[in-house]
Amino acid sequence: MKQFSRFIFLLLLFTIGISVIVKADSGDENRVDLIDKVVDHHYLDFKPLVTIELPRFIYDEGRFYFFRNTTSLLNKTDHFTDAAYIDAAPITEDGVIVPATYNIVRSSGEPPQFDFSITSHLVFFWLAALLTFAIFIPLSRRYQQGTGRTAEPKGAFQNIFETLIVFIRDDIALQNIGQKKYEKFTPYLLTVFFMILFMNFFGLMPWGVSSTADITVTAVLALFTFLMTQIFASKEHWKHVFWFPGVPVPIKFMLMPVELLGLFTKPFALCIRLFANMASGKILIFSLLGTIFIFSDLFGPGIAYGTSWIWVLLTLFVYLIKALVSFIQAYVFTILSALFIGLAVDDHSEEHEHAH
Amino acid sequence: MELAYLAAGFGAGITTIGAAIGIGMIGKGAMEGSARQPEASGDIRTSMLISAAFIEGVALFGQVVCIILALS
Repeated sequence: MKQFSRFIFLLLLFTIGISVIVKADSGDENRVDLIDKVVDHHYLDFKPLVTIELPRFIYDEGRFYFFRNTTSLLNKTDHFTDAAYIDAAPITEDGVIVPATYNIVRSSGEPPQFDFSITSHLVFFWLAALLTFAIFIPLSRRYQQGTGRTAEPKGAFQNIFETLIVFIRDDIALQNIGQKKYEKFTPYLLTVFFMILFMNFFGLMPWGVSSTADITVTAVLALFTFLMTQIFASKEHWKHVFWFPGVPVPIKFMLMPVELLGLFTKPFALCIRLFANMASGKILIFSLLGTIFIFSDLFGPGIAYGTSWIWVLLTLFVYLIKALVSFIQAYVFTILSALFIGLAVDDHSEEHEHAH
Repeated sequence: MELAYLAAGFGAGITTIGAAIGIGMIGKGAMEGSARQPEASGDIRTSMLISAAFIEGVALFGQVVCIILALS
């Protein structure tokens, strides 16, 4: 056990070391764009080993353009060009134009109508989806055969996930949605929880990207929760939104816009929370490591080398916090989804019976 | 333009103060509650996380405004 934990520690240090190398390598003129590390890219970054460019799929002026990667797009068509090559001459390597900013525009400088290109966040989103499928389809087959329901769960694989599944079913779905309807929503909550968890964990891996650090991904997840809430909402829910019971009529009119606004702020907060937490963790790690380079600029490389262990240890600490936050944010997203669904589908019939 | 950066910095700091006070008070309440009644600590932890998440949400709205200020 002790050896195992030492191994994990070394592995973590190794991961951080790789990030430092990548950072030092990518910095031209000692400038590193922090936001650039968080935003979406049209390539998978495995620096210093390899950079894999992703396919480009663009719809413009009634035509679909499909290219294997950005380089092939730049070389095969005159319709599009890199945004940096409008004013300056294109950079070429062995006679092949290479992309500079990956920001594709028309030759006239206007952006194309629709850019459906596959991006790094999307690739890691798909990876998380594949992982979810790969784990839970065999697992559900096991439960259908009876292992875990009638017999005891077998093996470490099933036991690890059964703890989490039972936790989500009993502590999240059952507690927040209620005895009557929780079974209908447990699959959704399980899917959301594991998808977010896997996406967050991908961001902790070397060269990994967490798709949840992209606001479009979290917005879609929040949209699903919003749709679930509204589609399965009870009559009581709509009554509370449009005609709040138990208050004087002028107050009912005052409460209506507030309640309507409340419908949208809940998923909005859900979306922003996940996005901000995941993106800020990444920025924090890069800022801490960047302090080494700032020290090197300010006080010379000697002091930067001497103090670098402080920042590496702090980064390790933040990294572990990030691992914790990945779990907590997946949990918070799921429990808040369950809470909102529970509030909307609850028809209060039981409580009224108890009250009388 | 420089004032926008100043406002963004101040805004980020002030929102953090607000969120820190709020979450600190929740933590205090939860600690006292579970110290007094250890058998209820599971329920208390859940509701603590939910309330902390709500406060965090409000703070994040503030931070998003600050980011927009700083980037515009």
